[in-house]
Amino acid sequence: MKIAIPVWNERVSPVFDVAEKILIADVESGIEKARSEYQLKSTNTAARATEIANLGIDVLICGAISRPLEAMITASGVGVIARVCGNVDEILRAYIAGRLLTSQRYLMPGCWRRGYQWRGRRRFGMLHKRNIRRT
Amino acid sequence: MSDSLKENFKDIILDSITDGVFCVNKEWKITFFNKAAERITSVSREDAIGRNCWEIFHASICEKDCALKRTIQTNQPVINKAIYIIDATGRRIPVSISTAVLRDDHGEVIGGIETFRDLSAEEELRKELAAKYSFADIIGRSPEMQRLFAILPRVADSDSTVLITGPSGTGKELVARAIHNLSARKDKPFIAVNCAALPDTLLESELFGYKAGAFTDARTDKPGRFALAEGGTIFLDEIGDISPAMQSKLLRVLQDKVYEPLGATESVRADVRILAATNKDIEKLVEKGIFREDLYYRINIVKLDLPPLHQRKEDIPLLIEHFVDKFNRLANKNIAGVSQEAMAILMDYDYPGNIRELENIIEHAFVLCSGSLIMPEHLPSHLRGIRGAARSIGEGGPMTLKALEAMHIADALRRHKGNRTAAAKELGINPSTLYRKMKSLHIDVPKRGRRSDKSTK
Repeated sequence: MKIAIPVWNERVSPVFDVAEKILIADVESGIEKARSEYQLKSTNTAARATEIANLGIDVLICGAISRPLEAMITASGVGVIARVCGNVDEILRAYIAGRLLTSQRYLMPGCWRRGYQWRGRRRFGMLHKRNIRRT
Repeated sequence: MSDSLKENFKDIILDSITDGVFCVNKEWKITFFNKAAERITSVSREDAIGRNCWEIFHASICEKDCALKRTIQTNQPVINKAIYIIDATGRRIPVSISTAVLRDDHGEVIGGIETFRDLSAEEELRKELAAKYSFADIIGRSPEMQRLFAILPRVADSDSTVLITGPSGTGKELVARAIHNLSARKDKPFIAVNCAALPDTLLESELFGYKAGAFTDARTDKPGRFALAEGGTIFLDEIGDISPAMQSKLLRVLQDKVYEPLGATESVRADVRILAATNKDIEKLVEKGIFREDLYYRINIVKLDLPPLHQRKEDIPLLIEHFVDKFNRLANKNIAGVSQEAMAILMDYDYPGNIRELENIIEHAFVLCSGSLIMPEHLPSHLRGIRGAARSIGEGGPMTLKALEAMHIADALRRHKGNRTAAAKELGINPSTLYRKMKSLHIDVPKRGRRSDKSTK
């Protein structure tokens, strides 16, 4: 499966809507097989959603993302795990190990007022959640 | 005055202003975060202090052009720079920022301060005036809307003609504007024409324009809507209502991309994308021979079907939240949302007027609500009546004849979109009797769909 993380100074880009570069990791059976970087060309919401879908990404792990862009990306079948912050390598390792969604330390702080739903498609036996409600 | 007292005063002053303020140290960690900053970003002070500023502020310029960084490096303040931030709930908030350097008593730089003003209200007003709606204004997480979101970018990217169908009040024009604003033609005009609002002869001159002398009083050339939309998009609303003669003229524009203004001797080439919409079952019109089959196939290259609101009830809370936000900004109120009881009533209702009706209901509640939460009594009475009556039946409890009568009348009015004559006919009573009963039972007429209202979502 292909996992994409927008990168800025080795960290997750703060705002995916304007991120310039993504890291794409190919992961099979919990092992990272390949890694590449990709320069995003799109500058508007629709083009960005199409660009991510065309890259064959399965899961996008990102920082802040606007609702329309997130809606478009999830609608195209890509799972989105938003509001993540920290070092990209650490985030990727945590995701592969299944720790990303269960640990508070990778989440951007915020006011989790709304009930978040499971998002994205069921693929490779995994479910992706947009966010975790802070308790 | 002691230092701690001074500090306390400073905090009180900064907390009392409406602009967001935060300070960072040289490691870009937040050291101060005022109340307005909490409100605008939806992040609490406790969560913000000690975190990197970009993890809290999520500004469009964080990555490439941090204003605070530039100020600290060059010692030049930034004043009123317009950017946007994404708050903790994913909303894109336009803000205006200003920055300055913070120094200690010895003049050493110890960090920076940034103030930011929420421009959402101004943006909302500008949007209302210019009707410049975008994809962000289409609200919904239901599977029906997800399908729409999935294809909208590709639809916008293409230059194909699009047919948007759906009942009145589902936001067909909004989707058309979103397609235009997402497309390569976004910097060119978007021209909307309601085909049903104009008689045939007028529609032709409206769409194609006329030359001086084409008819009496045509003293000068007048460009048509196609000419005004040159390079951009024309939106033909209610296309199912145009006459056969007009249909053949439109077919020519679609086929050959040319048209003739009234009285012109030469054809004019049109570089215009056509988006069409109808609330009618256009396939049935084709079957009946009312709508030309060849025109139907020309406009039906991409078809977007907008579902009625009762088919995507899971979107109602999200839409309510959106309208509460909108009217808070427009009416300068601070209503937090709707109460559980009011939400139950709103979820029960089946919205014959769709999203436009929901918007009107929230607007109605805003007029009556003076507290912080919309309660059942702030909702139009026809909603409350139905809920009360339905609950009585559902619970098997006693129900008065009056309540039953109120329920039947409200139901009939809803079915006929507030048309009292039609409702009276269905109920088998005289319209004047219906008026009298509505008055005595305190039943409001459901608002009818307003075609001119552009703010439906």
